[in-house]
Formats: sequence, C-alpha cells, structure tokens
Amino acid sequence: MSKLKLNLGPQHPSTHGVLRLILELEGEKIISCEPDIGYLHRGMEKMAEKLSYIQYLPLVDRIDYLAGFFYSELLCRTVEKALGVELSKRVKAIRVMLLELNRIASHLLWIGAFLMDLGAVSPFFYAFREREVILKYFEKITGQRMMNNYFVFGGVRRDIFSLEDVENIINILPDKVKDYEALITENPIFVQRTKGKGVLDKETAFNFGITGVNLRASGVNLDFRVKDYLYERIDFNPVVLDGADSWSRYKARVLEIKESINIIKQTLKVLESEKELEQKLVNPLNLTLPEGEYIQEIEAPRGLASIYIKSTEEKSPYRLKWRTGSYYSVNLLRKILKGAYLNDAIAISGSLDIILPEVDK
Amino acid sequence: MNYLYFLYIEFLAKHNIPQLFGDLTFYVIPCCIIFCALLVVVLALVLFERKLLGWFTQRKGPNRVGLWGILQTLADAFKLLCKENITPKGADRFLFNLAPVVIFVPVMIALGLIPYSSEFTFMNFQTNLLIFIVIGALPVLSILLAGWASNNKYSLFGSMRSVAQILAYELPMAFVILSVAVLGSSLNLTQIIYAQSSGGGILGWFGIPCIIGFVIMFICVIAELNRCPFDLPEAESELICGYNTEYSGMRFAIFYLSEYAMLFANSMLLAVLFLGGFLSPFGKYLSPIIFPPDVSWIIIYFEQAFWLFAKTFLIIFVVIWIRATFPRMAQFDLLKFSWAVLLPVSILNLFLMVVLKYLTGGGYV
Amino acid sequence: MNWTEFQNIFKDCRLEGEKIVINSDLLKTIEFIKTNYHFEMLKEIIASDNGDGNVELTYRLFSLEDEEDLLISINVQDEAESISSIFESAVADEKEIFDLFGVKFIGNPELKRLYMPEYWKGHPLRKDYKEDDERLNWNE
Repeated sequence: MSKLKLNLGPQHPSTHGVLRLILELEGEKIISCEPDIGYLHRGMEKMAEKLSYIQYLPLVDRIDYLAGFFYSELLCRTVEKALGVELSKRVKAIRVMLLELNRIASHLLWIGAFLMDLGAVSPFFYAFREREVILKYFEKITGQRMMNNYFVFGGVRRDIFSLEDVENIINILPDKVKDYEALITENPIFVQRTKGKGVLDKETAFNFGITGVNLRASGVNLDFRVKDYLYERIDFNPVVLDGADSWSRYKARVLEIKESINIIKQTLKVLESEKELEQKLVNPLNLTLPEGEYIQEIEAPRGLASIYIKSTEEKSPYRLKWRTGSYYSVNLLRKILKGAYLNDAIAISGSLDIILPEVDK
Repeated sequence: MNYLYFLYIEFLAKHNIPQLFGDLTFYVIPCCIIFCALLVVVLALVLFERKLLGWFTQRKGPNRVGLWGILQTLADAFKLLCKENITPKGADRFLFNLAPVVIFVPVMIALGLIPYSSEFTFMNFQTNLLIFIVIGALPVLSILLAGWASNNKYSLFGSMRSVAQILAYELPMAFVILSVAVLGSSLNLTQIIYAQSSGGGILGWFGIPCIIGFVIMFICVIAELNRCPFDLPEAESELICGYNTEYSGMRFAIFYLSEYAMLFANSMLLAVLFLGGFLSPFGKYLSPIIFPPDVSWIIIYFEQAFWLFAKTFLIIFVVIWIRATFPRMAQFDLLKFSWAVLLPVSILNLFLMVVLKYLTGGGYV
Repeated sequence: MNWTEFQNIFKDCRLEGEKIVINSDLLKTIEFIKTNYHFEMLKEIIASDNGDGNVELTYRLFSLEDEEDLLISINVQDEAESISSIFESAVADEKEIFDLFGVKFIGNPELKRLYMPEYWKGHPLRKDYKEDDERLNWNE
C-alpha cells in the first residue's frame, strides 16, 4: 500500500494550540509521526537574560497559562532559597491552596478537552462550569483569571480573603466529579476508545522523561510533591494506577482532583489557625542572586517543572532554563503514535495532556 | 391522494382547463410543497437540536435572534447564503459542484414517499418501502463525490469512512425492514401502518413484537446519518469537518440542509415502521370526539399528521440526547459492531418474526 | 552512588560542588552510570554558554530508588556526543540545544531547527549572538 503524508495541524481543532504533527499513513494506520513545534515560541529563556527578576516575574505565568501559579512559584522559590528567606506558615498554606486549586482547574479543563477530542460535547461544558468557579475566585483575590502574577519574592502580593468561596468549591466539587464519573468513566464507548489504547510502559516512560500524572498512571510512585518543602506538613497519597493506558491517565486525573480537594481542606485548617500574615518581602529593586547555580523543581499538573538559574551577581540571570512536562510528552508522540489508527491517535495525544505554550516556552 | 387528484381535476374542469394540464402539474405541486415544508422543518429542526443541546449542556442555547431565538437558524442560513463559494485549487470542479445536487435529490424523493396521513402520500407506490431504502442509501454517493473532488486528504478520509460505514449498516437495516415487511405483509408504507392498527393503540405497533429490530434499526439510522456516536465521517476533532471541509457558503448550506432533512425522513420512517405512523396511540382518533362530524372528517387528516410528527420528534429527541451523552466510536469497533453483532442479531430477528407471523395465523404471504 | 569507586574508573573527572565534571567520554560515562547506579531517567540537559566559546552541558540524571539527582557536566565547543541511544528524551533536549546554542550532537537522528525557522542565522542563546538581523526590526 502506498504511503500518505498527512499534515495534522497547526490549525487543527484537536491539537490544543498549535502543535503540528507530520504523519505518514498507510490507510488510517500511522507508520511514523514527527512533531513540529515552535509556533508559539516567545523566547522565554532569552528574555530572562535581558530582564531583571521582578520584570521577568509576570511573564513566567505565561509559560503555562493553565497552571501559571506553578511557574511563578518556581521563580519565587529560587530567589527565596538563594537569599535564604523563610516563609511563614500562612504564606505556605496560601501558596499550597492556590497551587492545588490551579491543579484542579487545569485537570478539569483537560477532562473537558479530552472528551471533546473523543467527540463527546457535554462533559466539556460541565467541566468548564466548575473551572469557572475556581477562576472566579482567582479573579477575586488576584485580579486575574489566568495569568495571576500573585506570588512575589518572599510571600504573596496581598493577603487572601473570602475563604468561604474555597469552602464552597471543595464542598461542591466531589458531587460534580461524581457526575463526570457517572457520565464518562464506565461509558462503554469511552472505555472502548481508551482502555488498552496508547499503552505507555514504565521503561518507555522513563526513557522519554515522562513525569507527573502520565507516569503515575503507568504504575510508578513518583510524585515530587512528597519531598516538596511546601507540602511538608500535608498528608496526602499520590495517585498511582497500573493501567498505563489512556483510561488510567483519565482516571488518575479524576482521582488527583479528589486528592487535591483533600489537600485544600488541610490548608484551610492552617489558614484558620494562622490569621496573621507575616512575610518579609524581598526588595525587588537591585535584586541580585549570589553567584552560583540554582535548580528548583515542582510537580506541575503536566509533569515535573523545574527551573535552572545561573547567576553571576548581575541584575538579570546569566542563564535561565525551564524544564516543562509537556515538552517531553510531545517527544513521546513519535513513539506512542506509531501503529495507532488516526482516530486513536487523537485520543492518545489528548490523553497525554499536552499544552503548547509550555512546550514552546 | 386519489381523492385530492379528483378534486384538483374537477377544479380545473370548472375553469375549462384540459385534463392533460392537470395530469402534468399535479405532481409538480407536491414537489413545491415538499420543498417549502422541508425548509421550514429543517430550520425548526436545527433550532430544536441547538436548543436541546444547550439545555443538555447547561447553556441557554440560541436566544437572541427573534423571540427565544426562533429566527437564529434563519439568520444563520441567510449568512451562509451570503458567503463566498470557494472552490479549492486542484479540485475537480464539475464533481465538486455536482455533489451538493446529488445529495439533495434523494432526500426530496425520500420525503415524498412517506404517508403523512391516510390519504396523503405524494408518491404512493405498492413498493414504497423498497424505494425508500434504495433512495436512502444514495447520499453516500454524494459524500464520496465530495470527498474525492475536494482535493483534501481529510475530506477523502471522511468520505471513505462514510462509505465503509454505510455499507456495514445498510445490511442489518435491510434485514430489519424485511422483518417488518413480513409482519405487515406488505411493502407499502400505508398498508404497513394499517397492519399496526389491529391491537388498538400502542399494543398493535410493530415496535412491541419487533423490539430488537427497532433498536437495531435505530442504531443503523444513526449510523447512516453519520450522527454521534457514529459521526466518524465528519469527526470534528479528527478530520476537521470530514467530507464538507472544503465546502462553503451555499454549497455547505445544502449539505447541512440535506443532512437534517435526511434525519427527518429517516426518523419518520422509523415512526412509520415501528410506532404506528399516523395512528393515534390511544387506538381512536381524538378529533371525532372534540369536533362535530361535519368538520372532523377533514381535521382527522391533520390529526394523523400531528401524531406522525410527534413520534418523529420524539425519535429525533432521543437521537440528540444520544449525541449529548456519548463520545465518538472508533472506526474499527464501529465496523466490528455492525458485522459481528448487528448483522447476526438482525437475521435472528427476521427468523423470529417469520415464526411469529406463521404462529399468529398470517401464513406466508 | 559511590564516588571513589566511580573516580577509580573514570580518572578524568572531578567533583565541583554537586556536579561531576568530566572532560571526555560523555557517552561511556553516562551509560556506565545508568547501568551501574540505576539512574533511569534523564530529567533534562542544561546548556549554558560560558562566554569563552565553550558551552557547558549539564546532564541531570534521576534515580527513582533514592529519588535523587546526579549532575554531570562537560564543556564542549561545537560538537558533542549524542546520548540519544541511551535516553530517548535526550533527542528533544539535544534538538533544543542545537537550535539555541548551535552545538552539533553527533548521532542524534533529528538534529534540525526547532523553535527558530530553518533560515535563521545564528543561535540566540549564545553570548556572541548579535541581534542585527533585519527581520528583527520589522515593527520599528
């Protein structure tokens, strides 16, 4: 049979942004896949070398606009660790709470978009309805829905308020998640399309540098939150599933939403006992880091995110590098799509939760 | 229909117009009626679907244009008509333009074959049902043309998927229709409907003895119309828009229109075959009870049409409900489902129906 | 991992803070570390221009058992050995470094421009990169 070259994207409805896949097909079977990225490249690393730290901070949220808090947390953390700033309990609790809310919002969006890829319309709207509540809360406390720019070096921009909204969110969400599960999880067509499709075994996942939910759905207990200093006093269990297929990745994300709700509950208790906001903000003017190299990591919704800063005691970093989870997931597509059919390919690439601004940086 | 024909000829004779003219024009009139009615029905149907989908997904649906958004689809249609017709470079112009025409004609014919009330079928042949099946499979030809002529790989994929799908689902559907024909001892839709009146109301409908067939036919109709969960030929997230990716403006509007008209025609066929068509679900028509006898003889026809439309819209409602609930099937599972599950079950169903007919004293007709 | 044992095998290396700095035999060293000390994952490759014409490549390996990182760094000029045969994820990292730093990785199957267009001159994260391309002034 002769081969057919198909250009999927960058303006394709289901590539979640501007991913371009050059597929070679035999009938509808994919024999090779070559991801082509760079349509959203903003030169984040080059910009860092020109800007001072405080000028760079608002840009950092844009690396992954669905999980902006994680990236600003990384930059703030690097500065704080380098200068030896200690965070008070309340600041830590605020940060953990917002990070987890952001994780829930990100996973909710993924559920909607993934089901949209599979051709189901309704879950998209249901998931967005709940995400909307969370974003409304973000807007209330930070003034922005997505690119929040709320964490600053040494603390948060202003104290948090209206915690009853958060309580409301975590009270409603479990019921709503139950709704999605009723609609999706056991749906025979959904199971048929995802069970056993896009299998990602442990060795391949390690080899391709896959982290985060995608790795944990393959049966590896690796959650960088466990060793994270923000999550020190928080009791939670990383979600680990054995299926290694698209269905497990879906299920793992749903369970992770529940786990995040659990974490938020604990932070709310801390916030109730620690009423006073104590924080020693770093003066951002003429801020320089001591000479050296700094690496910080965090468990973002799409896998391990880390930052590397090499400082030469100047206003802007000498070199700054981001590691993002999606970048490696895109690389994995080369392997995981081989031999899949075209309509499975969409489901598989959707299940990996690739978000393009994170890939292109 | 004969009755209407005589009325028409009589009317012409009064005005000294030759009968030949009447014979010629009589069949033009229904075409015009169908076309106008079709436009209205399709516009209503699109609005119905959008409103329902809106409610299913906790939105309001269209609610700005006109009262409760009634004019929304009209405005959309107008917008489509105003848009530029684009023919892509490298497309086969003749076939590209032919495809929308080819999809439109069979839909019109199919609508003419349905008995809207006991006296009102535009084309009442002895083998109505058979013609409907043949006509109903024709739109795939247009889809194939559209996919091939567009010079677009996504369109080609869409049309190829569509052909495979319709081939797979036509067969079980034919077996089910055969079993209904056995039950009704006829290939004429009106007679099949009358055969369902014996039980008095719902109990006589073929949907009850032939429930398996009803379900199979329902699935097949959804598949043949390329609707969710069988909407692979135009899978939005995979093939962008499948075979009509390259169509714009008027031509796209025709595709869109025919799709909904086909949905309407096929739902009506389902209602006719399994839900008693224009029969009242209570066994008796309501209009003789409500209206005095001198007007009820004509109102009864409207009541029959009302029941048919009510049943049709019920079926369409379920189709939309399914669309709001299920994800899309995979191509492989879809074909496997037809050949491995539906086909054997439909043959079994046919066998059961033949036995049933024999036992209830119908004998072989 | 056992540092003294490691130094006995690879004499040409030294410890600088948390980093192991090697001068040659990159591929061999990393393969040895992967097989003998169970560092199953390559988290990332960090490149940084030293300013003297050398690019420092830092390989961050990760071991699941101990949940710890290992940094291996090497100074290269314009060419380096590709470790894509050991870690598939290196393909992506090396591609990025090639695009931004111009380091050619020998043995990488898909070395070409990633973010920048094919016709782009220079490698933007090099310290000697000049922003005098006429295309950069399009909006002024």
